[in-house]
Amino acid sequence: MSSIAFLKAAYIVAWAAYLAYLMRILLRMKKVETEMKDLERGK
Amino acid sequence: MKRLALITLPLTLVLLAVSSYLALVVAPTEATMGDVQRIFYYHVPSAWVGGFCFFINFVASIWYLWKRSPRSDALAAASAEVGVVFCAVLLIEGTLWARPVWGIWWTWDARLTTTLVLWLIYVSYLVLRRFSAGQTQVMAAALAVFAFADVPIVYMSIRWFRTQHPSPVMGGGENSGLAPAMLQVFLVNLALFTVLGILFIWLRYKLETAEQALESAHAQAALKGAA
Repeated sequence: MSSIAFLKAAYIVAWAAYLAYLMRILLRMKKVETEMKDLERGK
Repeated sequence: MKRLALITLPLTLVLLAVSSYLALVVAPTEATMGDVQRIFYYHVPSAWVGGFCFFINFVASIWYLWKRSPRSDALAAASAEVGVVFCAVLLIEGTLWARPVWGIWWTWDARLTTTLVLWLIYVSYLVLRRFSAGQTQVMAAALAVFAFADVPIVYMSIRWFRTQHPSPVMGGGENSGLAPAMLQVFLVNLALFTVLGILFIWLRYKLETAEQALESAHAQAALKGAA
């Protein structure tokens, strides 16, 4: 494998990791909001 | 949630795009390693943000032990998780740089080993928070105070020991330093990654406080149901 392939892999991994982490937080946030609304509706 | 996504997703994309453009296009090619050296512009800022997150975790944990404030516990949890993500990227990028330059993916030298240990300590911190019952916050805060001791060891490891890892680029004596064009890109990327780290900590902190509020709402609902 050429060194350019390693360079590309490094940047792809970083982008994927940071974007996946951001999406995970946002999805968890959505889940908490939905649960809170359900709880308030059940009161 | 939608509003948060509309702010954070484009901001993250802009930060990653600008930092990649600077590193891959603007920065000059290094003479001995060639293009693979450009990993440095993501590797070192990821390390810096990881250390910064663990420092926030350390301060927030001390504050929690002192004041028992749920907000400082939320900040500690948020910063530890973000730090683990940045530290994981740092380790992966290190191996991707090492393979073409050293011919090996990994070596047990002082810098690499202490960094891996640091990552494992904070992963265990997150596992403790997730799976222990009872005095979780106190135990986590106590662990965080001891865990932070590894951060200066990681930083100093390339000064204290002869390592395969390159010697310090900044503040490493007479032969250290970067060419001005490289230094500019490096410093801008450092700033962009700091903004990215703060953005993630803020967002994760909001999630942690929302989860705390949900937990207490569940507890109140359960009490009402029992009464």
